[in-house]
Amino acid sequence: MNSILATPYGLSLLSILRIFTGLSLLQHGTAKILGFPATPMFSNVQITSLTGLGGLIELVGGILFTIGLFTRPVAFILSGFTAVAYFMAHASKSFFPVLNGGELAALYCFVFLYFVFAGAGPWSVDAIRERK
Amino acid sequence: MEPSTVWAPRVLSVLRIVVGLVLLQYGLAKLFGWPAVKMFQDLPWLSLFGIAGMFELIGGTLLILGLFTRPAAFILSGEMAAAYFIEHFPRSFFPIQSEGDLAVTLCFTFLYLSFAGGGPLSLDALLLSKANLRPDMSRG
Repeated sequence: MNSILATPYGLSLLSILRIFTGLSLLQHGTAKILGFPATPMFSNVQITSLTGLGGLIELVGGILFTIGLFTRPVAFILSGFTAVAYFMAHASKSFFPVLNGGELAALYCFVFLYFVFAGAGPWSVDAIRERK
Repeated sequence: MEPSTVWAPRVLSVLRIVVGLVLLQYGLAKLFGWPAVKMFQDLPWLSLFGIAGMFELIGGTLLILGLFTRPAAFILSGEMAAAYFIEHFPRSFFPIQSEGDLAVTLCFTFLYLSFAGGGPLSLDALLLSKANLRPDMSRG
């Protein structure tokens, strides 16, 4: 089964998944820190608050993950970060993610965990740095 | 950077199972009302949401088992793209404002699974290894 990942399409798709997951995370960071896109829930977030610190991780991690720089360590930190977000913000509301609003955090957590092992794929700064 | 050849496929299987579970609860909530979600109460099965629920119920089950992973993931990827553009995109360009981030992330995760397959912890792998056994046995 490991030969499947070695096909060129599989690896390109890995990079596409990385870029869209990174962009999706990045907008949470920009919404909290920069107020764009304007989200009522995140207006006037203090940078030193828990939500603000989460926003910083999402902003920096989202940029690094999108361009594919230091992908594995960044993915490891983001995976832990989203796991914490799930258990702190969502798990207490209900056991089922569909009821506690945490399915996005749960999904992020496992997608990032996968990237710890899979790496960034060919369309990434990591891949460019390796070629040099 | 090359994927880890041992652990990347295993974690791919774990990702597949989690994504399948996330999707399955939407199918259950829409068709059987459990877990009880207000938005999905008393949906007719033949409405747009009900049909989406059938995709999610059957597709989610297949993904968890890892049976027909590639075709199932391909169809679900299309379903999520449709869900995003019908339900979320008209509200705002940014997924965080249209609440479509889950649909986008699911769409691309399914697209990846349709190319990468289900990994070693799947019925697909089990069936494939059985199919591969036969020529070996005939060779003696």
